[in-house]
Amino acid sequence: MFLKRNKNTNAALNEFAQVVEGNSLGKDAWRRLKKNKMAVVGMIIVIVYSLLAATAMFLPIYPYDQIILDHQHLRPSFSKTAGELMMETRLEDLYFKAWRAGSLVVTEEQSAQIRKWIADNETNKVWDFCYTEGERQREAGLFTFNSTDQRTIDRLQEKIDTEFLISVDTIIYTDLESGKAKNLAKMEFKEIESIYANLLKVDIAVIEKQTLDEISNQVLNTLKAATPGLTNEEYALNLEMEMDALGEKGIASMAKTNLLGKVKTTITRSAERDLRSEIRSGAVEFPLNREITVNEVLTAKVSATKKHERQYFLGTDYSGRDMLSRIIYGGQVSIAIGLVGTLTSVLIGIVLGAIAGYAGGKIDFFLMRFVDIMYGLPYMLLVIIFMAIFGRNIMNLFVALAMVSWLTVARMVRGQVMSLKNSEYVEAARSMGASTGRIIFRHMVPNSLSVIIVYSTLRVPAFIMQESFLSFLGLGVQAPYASWGSLVGDAVNGMTLYPWKLIFPAIAMTIFLFAMNFFGDGLRDAFDPQSKNQL
Amino acid sequence: MTKYIVNRLLGMIPTLLIIITLSFFIVRIAPGGPFATERNLPEVVKRNIEAKYHLNEPMIQQYGRYMFDILRGDLGPSFKYKDYNVNYYIANSLPKSIVLGSWAMLLALVFGISAGIIAAVRQNSWIDYLSMGVAVIGISVPLFVIAPVLQLFFAMKLKWLPTSGWYTTGEGWKTVILPAVSLSFAYFANIARLTRSSMLETLRSDYIRTAKAKGMKSTTIIFKHAMKGAMLPIVSYLGPAFAGIITGSIVVEQIFRVPGLGKFFVQSSFNRDYTLIVGVVIVYSVILILMNFIVDIVYAQLDPRITYK
Repeated sequence: MFLKRNKNTNAALNEFAQVVEGNSLGKDAWRRLKKNKMAVVGMIIVIVYSLLAATAMFLPIYPYDQIILDHQHLRPSFSKTAGELMMETRLEDLYFKAWRAGSLVVTEEQSAQIRKWIADNETNKVWDFCYTEGERQREAGLFTFNSTDQRTIDRLQEKIDTEFLISVDTIIYTDLESGKAKNLAKMEFKEIESIYANLLKVDIAVIEKQTLDEISNQVLNTLKAATPGLTNEEYALNLEMEMDALGEKGIASMAKTNLLGKVKTTITRSAERDLRSEIRSGAVEFPLNREITVNEVLTAKVSATKKHERQYFLGTDYSGRDMLSRIIYGGQVSIAIGLVGTLTSVLIGIVLGAIAGYAGGKIDFFLMRFVDIMYGLPYMLLVIIFMAIFGRNIMNLFVALAMVSWLTVARMVRGQVMSLKNSEYVEAARSMGASTGRIIFRHMVPNSLSVIIVYSTLRVPAFIMQESFLSFLGLGVQAPYASWGSLVGDAVNGMTLYPWKLIFPAIAMTIFLFAMNFFGDGLRDAFDPQSKNQL
Repeated sequence: MTKYIVNRLLGMIPTLLIIITLSFFIVRIAPGGPFATERNLPEVVKRNIEAKYHLNEPMIQQYGRYMFDILRGDLGPSFKYKDYNVNYYIANSLPKSIVLGSWAMLLALVFGISAGIIAAVRQNSWIDYLSMGVAVIGISVPLFVIAPVLQLFFAMKLKWLPTSGWYTTGEGWKTVILPAVSLSFAYFANIARLTRSSMLETLRSDYIRTAKAKGMKSTTIIFKHAMKGAMLPIVSYLGPAFAGIITGSIVVEQIFRVPGLGKFFVQSSFNRDYTLIVGVVIVYSVILILMNFIVDIVYAQLDPRITYK
């Protein structure tokens, strides 16, 4: 053990002088897993999903919480931009109105068909028909809009052509004396405060007071959201406690974010004004990246894109947010909760199960009775009550789910530990004077790890399902965050009109759960080939 | 046997007591209350209301009062729906949930067991792959995805079935199909997989080989000999399945607008309607515990190796 081994000279040889390599349990399992095609596909899908979720920040997608009200409920399209889709929707509406008014002439049968569609509540078909028929007639010169409608169209077209989204990426502060350039985001709160006061040309004390007021308001609002239904005095008391808990540092960092946001808004506004007048006077190339000078000390890198040239491959939701990025970020939340939740519950289960199994006697009896009682509880109901009453946020959700999901692991580990307790190597370790903790966590737990790993992989989809179940009921992840469950939950109302809101998150989630289940099954078969024909 | 039943029945009491206590205190220790949303109430009125519902008493006294009321079978007045008491609401909505849950369980059992048996008897045939494929879908796709998709497809696109509602809305028994099918799907899948694997194992056992050697008809072997042994894992799965159907019915009742207990439960949790929450939890727990008890008895009846003292 303590001798330094040389791999080449010390390799075991068989009778034909071939090197015999040892095979670890993991290696063996991996070899078997590789043969199971479905499990490998499942594993690859799980890896791809996890990578997408982990790198969501760096993907070239729109922000998941950017609300653009003009882009409400745009249908998914690979070829058309948001502006074109907006125009299409408006035209559908106008053609339909024209049909109502009788200026869009269609045959008697077609009219009857439209009426039937309306009676059947199949409005999508009505829109489609009116649009294609109207466009055909307009192309052929058979139909022209009246002046009011034409003006509406022109106004919309102008809006689509001119509106842009502007964002300030970095703000650079140049010190006048030393000439050094610094990123404003990396500066101290006090410095930013004086820069901002200078920018607005107001007294620094005014800014400071305003910022502090806003921060306490912000804290109060989060308090109100977390624990609704208190009296004003209780809120005031809680607020004081929260502010104390934040401390100087916390308040300074909040104030910094607040001030940075304000500086950005100020710069954005002025840049927007400049850009608009530029557009009016002549052509501006989009997308646009430029550096602008705000005042003698501040410069900013600004980028602008045309607002209605955005493309939504998976459509948008009720407040114009991109479904694609919502699904990816939703996956991030769901997968994270699944993984971290499983990990936590497995850790709790291992510790308690190992203690119960190793100690035996009274400790075992009480722990296992407790587990039995917990098993008997309708725990999802208790989780629902817990979430509804203690505020809906990710942390609570996590605690509520992890609290009840360690039971099975604890039982499993207890069984394993009890069966390993009398094995030779444990006895050997004990005779060498190893401590209880060492025996449990260095010898017994690693030896039951294969069972635990298999159980955990099958536990992840269950965890994701539970989280999504709660989010679906409106008890889980809250806006602006999303999870697959909350996306499906939001989509259920109005799913005939906007089916993409339901279908895409559902597909994304289903594929992941499928993959996870196949992967878990494959792992179980790999670690325990005997179980092949069981469930 | 009788002794065992009595013992089990007595054993339910502490579990139920823990559930009631736990839910009673969870709802009450949280800040806020059922009347906190009616913010503009004058202090006097508020105090009167609290006195009426005994909310001004110390917690332990409220608890004692509540336990005493439960012993008399009274679940107390609802704090939000002021016209009736909790018993009335539960008596009104529970039958609907029970009908829905029973249908779901029945569908899952009938189709799950038959699919499992067919798949096991014709192992590696197309019907085996088909039913196991459907079962994998049932296990992987969550209920709240299956239910809206079925609703979208069968009710809104094909218009074969009503989208939502319950018997009373004039569509009759058709309203129960979609909710029951979507609720049963996951349990169908699990039961089918369980039946298949346990049937496969049983069919390989010695006593089946003996029966075959005696020249028995294969249907007799499957239904009389193999079934009895193969059903044991399914019976023990029924306990968790009942619990799952109860939680699942909350979602299904919301999607298909069934005026059952599940809808009340979520609503009352949001409203902090203390008595209604605890009342619903008690009802659910009693159903769950009773079902587990019945499952155990059935298990003992099916498996002569188990003797209960």
